[in-house]
Amino acid sequence: MKKYAYFPGCSLEKMAQSYHLSTIETTRKLGVELEELEDWNCCGATTYFHVDQLLAHTLVARNLAMAERKSLDLVAPCSACYKNAFFTNTYLKNDQDLAEHINFALEEDNLHYSGNIEVLHLIEVYVKEVGYEEIRHNVTHPLEGLRVAPYYGCQILRPRKNHEDVEQPRFFEELISAIGAEPVNFPERLRCCGGSLILTSREAALSMVHLLLKSALDHEAEVIATACPLCQVNLECYQQQVNQEFGTSISIPVLYFTQLIGLALEIPPKRLGLGTELVPATKVLSYARRETNE
Amino acid sequence: MSEKIGVYVCHCGTNIAGTVDVVNVAHWAEEQLKHRGVVIARDYKFMCSSLGQELIEKDIQELGLTRVIVSACSPHLHETTFRNACARAGLNPYLCELVSIREQCSWVHTDGTAATEKAKAIISGGVERVHHNEALEPLHVPIHPSTLVVGGGIAGIQAALELADAGFQVCLVEREPSIGGHMAQFDKTFPTLDCSACILTPKMVQVGSHPNITLYTWSEVERVDGYVGNFTVTIRKKARYVNTDTCTGCGICWEKCPKKVVDNVFEAGLGKRKAIYTPFPQSVPKYPVIDVENCIYFERGKCKACQIFCPTEPNSINFEQEDELIQLEVGNIILATGYDLFDSKRIPQYGYGRLSNVFTSLEFERMCNASGPTEGKIVLRDGKTVPKTVAIVHCVGSRDENYNEYCSAICCMQSLKFAHLVMERTDAEVYNCYIDLRTPAKGYEEFYRRVLEEGGHFIRGKVAEVTDSARFPDEEGKLIVQVEDTLIGKQRRIPVDMVILSAGLEPRHDAKEVAHLFGISCSADGWFIEKHPKLDPVATMTEGIFIAGVVQGPKDIPASVAQGAAASARVLGRIQQGEIALEPIRASVIEEKCSGCRICNDLCPFNAILFHEDRMVSEINPALCQGCGTCVAACPAGAIVGTAFSNEQILAQIEGLLLINLQSPSRVLA
Amino acid sequence: MVKKPTFSQEIANMLYASHGNPLSSCIQCGTCAGTCPVVHYMDHTPRKLIGLINSDYKDEVLASNTYWFCASCYHCTVRCPSGIDIAEMMYALKRYSMWKNRYREGLIGPVFSETFVKTIVKSGRSYEPVLAPTYLFSFGIREFVQEAVTATNMMIKGRLPVLPPRIKRLENFKQMVGRIIPIGEVR
Repeated sequence: MKKYAYFPGCSLEKMAQSYHLSTIETTRKLGVELEELEDWNCCGATTYFHVDQLLAHTLVARNLAMAERKSLDLVAPCSACYKNAFFTNTYLKNDQDLAEHINFALEEDNLHYSGNIEVLHLIEVYVKEVGYEEIRHNVTHPLEGLRVAPYYGCQILRPRKNHEDVEQPRFFEELISAIGAEPVNFPERLRCCGGSLILTSREAALSMVHLLLKSALDHEAEVIATACPLCQVNLECYQQQVNQEFGTSISIPVLYFTQLIGLALEIPPKRLGLGTELVPATKVLSYARRETNE
Repeated sequence: MSEKIGVYVCHCGTNIAGTVDVVNVAHWAEEQLKHRGVVIARDYKFMCSSLGQELIEKDIQELGLTRVIVSACSPHLHETTFRNACARAGLNPYLCELVSIREQCSWVHTDGTAATEKAKAIISGGVERVHHNEALEPLHVPIHPSTLVVGGGIAGIQAALELADAGFQVCLVEREPSIGGHMAQFDKTFPTLDCSACILTPKMVQVGSHPNITLYTWSEVERVDGYVGNFTVTIRKKARYVNTDTCTGCGICWEKCPKKVVDNVFEAGLGKRKAIYTPFPQSVPKYPVIDVENCIYFERGKCKACQIFCPTEPNSINFEQEDELIQLEVGNIILATGYDLFDSKRIPQYGYGRLSNVFTSLEFERMCNASGPTEGKIVLRDGKTVPKTVAIVHCVGSRDENYNEYCSAICCMQSLKFAHLVMERTDAEVYNCYIDLRTPAKGYEEFYRRVLEEGGHFIRGKVAEVTDSARFPDEEGKLIVQVEDTLIGKQRRIPVDMVILSAGLEPRHDAKEVAHLFGISCSADGWFIEKHPKLDPVATMTEGIFIAGVVQGPKDIPASVAQGAAASARVLGRIQQGEIALEPIRASVIEEKCSGCRICNDLCPFNAILFHEDRMVSEINPALCQGCGTCVAACPAGAIVGTAFSNEQILAQIEGLLLINLQSPSRVLA
Repeated sequence: MVKKPTFSQEIANMLYASHGNPLSSCIQCGTCAGTCPVVHYMDHTPRKLIGLINSDYKDEVLASNTYWFCASCYHCTVRCPSGIDIAEMMYALKRYSMWKNRYREGLIGPVFSETFVKTIVKSGRSYEPVLAPTYLFSFGIREFVQEAVTATNMMIKGRLPVLPPRIKRLENFKQMVGRIIPIGEVR
């Protein structure tokens, strides 16, 4: 199987450590090698673009250049990092002037980017590189009966118009089916979670989070699966605030898709970072426990 | 230098004279080009005027001019004018050239001095070229009095009837089992709210019974050979498996047929038909066809109910019937093949195909139609619930860079019509969500006012999404239309029971292939290209082929009818003349030089080059050739020459432009 | 005499690298505002904002909270029938507003962005705790307490970074930044 340059992103160190752990564990089990980029820097998220576009692209380019040096395609688990990397990559490939300007800066770190690598979101590795069949083949404990709401979020698909079916993607649902669980029809699956608005415009973000949680619960989801640390934090860690604000009593676990895959592959929950949730995932774990009559 | 050349420099008001010193140029021509044959050079305010033309005619007669150069606007505009003037004075029109010192000089430069010098060079080029002009005679080609009309919609029907009523033979070919086209599917037509079938069927009946119209339905044109006035067309008459000589159209066969099929064509997928069917009760002709893919007999040899119950003697069902190939000679062809509806599934956020109560415009037409699947009742997909609120979405797949950039012309009126029909037949509240309301023609604006008075709600905003995901109690169980009401600047969510998508019009899925078959072109959007968008909308660049109706671009029924009539008028004009004069600007192959490499054969955009296997040489059909010059340039042996654009003429013109004939030091090459 | 660019021209220039169609191609259809998930918190809808920009209403635009409430979900961009990258326009407005230091009072976004950027330039990585002061003090008592509770819970679960991280080749990094935007000594 292929080897990729792994760009965890700032969140995966602490805030979304379980995402990082479950990624490493599951990719290893499925035969994909992830080599963490040495000395990677912050991609700038959405916030850097509020201040300076050129510098924001340069930050990303530094990581791209390091991946290119190893001749490896770059994989980003966080949707925001992915979107930045993908578009910076596209611009650098097509815009000579931009590439020149940024490479001039990269020289200071003895780096250069020639536009020879591709950028993938982590979920693409499972969906395209490994494939549903291979995953199904490796699953030893299908999470049968577990109702999972697949939450795509926004930057995993947009603004690439021509990629996939941007208004009706199916890959996350298929992935969930591949691990034996039941994907829930979740109509708000493409709606934004608010991202950094949770800090800068708390009220607006909470209303968006409320809508998503309510929609998932209305469709009888038992867990929400995410593919981005910002989404996970917004959906999980602010359920209390949502309840206070809207007078609800919502409590639903929000896990990373890699954690669910790990459970289906029978990797011990601790190693997948389970236990660090603010909303306990006991129900999910009960599906993962093998019923033994011994 | 035995030629006597007259040079005429036009002022064109200030269009040319404002930048180019035309008086100076005329003088220069008379003096400096005298040794090149110029005997007179004049300037005049408007050469194209009657007086201007008379100047030329007078000089030809009095001075015995043998060549004429007019330097004025582009040949696209007045070449014919000046050539006709020469012809009237007795000079062969092809000995006159119009060189442009407007579009190619005064209109594109601001430096007057330089432009004047350039104008001189241009005229010099013309003078050199015209020495090599030959007196040419137009080609006369006889016109066969029969016409082929392809497409039995309203435009094709109109064209066929006009020609037939004038006493000439028409062959009308239609792909579906009956003529009528899309108009037969509609319920009412805007703005008069005439019943569509009521105004269409009289014409259909006329077509069916007209002695001068040969109707081939369930047929397609397979091959077109020949050229204007003399086309040989091969039509494939597909097997109906019904003997039309004996069939009475009684309908017992389709009554007894056990196989029901979703009718995706006429009923737009909303209703069903049988495996043996006529599309609708008023079909012309009345004979049914068997849908081979869905017929039980053809699938597994059983059933034959239609044959068993057919009452005619001999039996009208013939499972062994085969396609028939029919060849006929026609003089002109009119293409009126219509449109396909935009596939609304391409816009997933509108929910068509996923949310059951989202309907397309054609589905809704069938619903409203009294002989449609719901007998004219406006109901939801369950077939019984009457909606209490309906939203009509404008601009689905039109005016959108992601789908089709153009406006589909009819959907605003159609949407207003739907609003009216819903309010007439139910108590429902209706919301029209639009970007602009395009109601330009007669009675259209008044219709809009009427719908406003009847209580229709209008929201100016393009619908962002249609969803069933409820957020508030009053949205439960409904379809929610999310749209910004731009006139008040608020995002609104409107719970409705039914959504109607006014989908745009698109060229037929096989438009490109059909265009190629007839030797015409499609635009980038796929509509057939007219000769001139303003002044010649029914002719094409290929002589003898005309277009009418939506195939040329989205339009309403009156415009389609007008174009059908216009196309037939053009054809009638040709037939009346009995023969047509074709421009003699053509290419021809010098047989001795042709090596038979055939490179030119496939390059010809008009399929005008034949290859003679026995002699291994190519030959150009002068009637089809449009003088584009592609083959002339492509021939590696230089074996193809163009009359009126020979190598000698072009090289001479270049030398003239460079003022080599004058050995003048000042050469303007801009 | 040199013609000063109008406000709409200035914004159009900032969108140069967005690869979408210019703002002047907007037909005011309202699809963006119809799609936007945060539109109810904006004083002007995205469509209206584009209208204001195209008509050079600079003051209204800069005083608006619309672009600071944009979550950059790009749904408007994907659906716009005129091919305008509206989310990019929101970014451009944020940059313009910060550059001119003109924005509505009471918005957290500008200060937040500035702090975030400074952190990255200083250490090559982001560090959430340092961002807290930018928004915490706009909260009422109840929200402040809630935030504290959440933060504590996260700390207990080991999810809050304690020490600010920094990259190894920080000196090179700073020089690299300096080649794009010369920055003063960052202490």
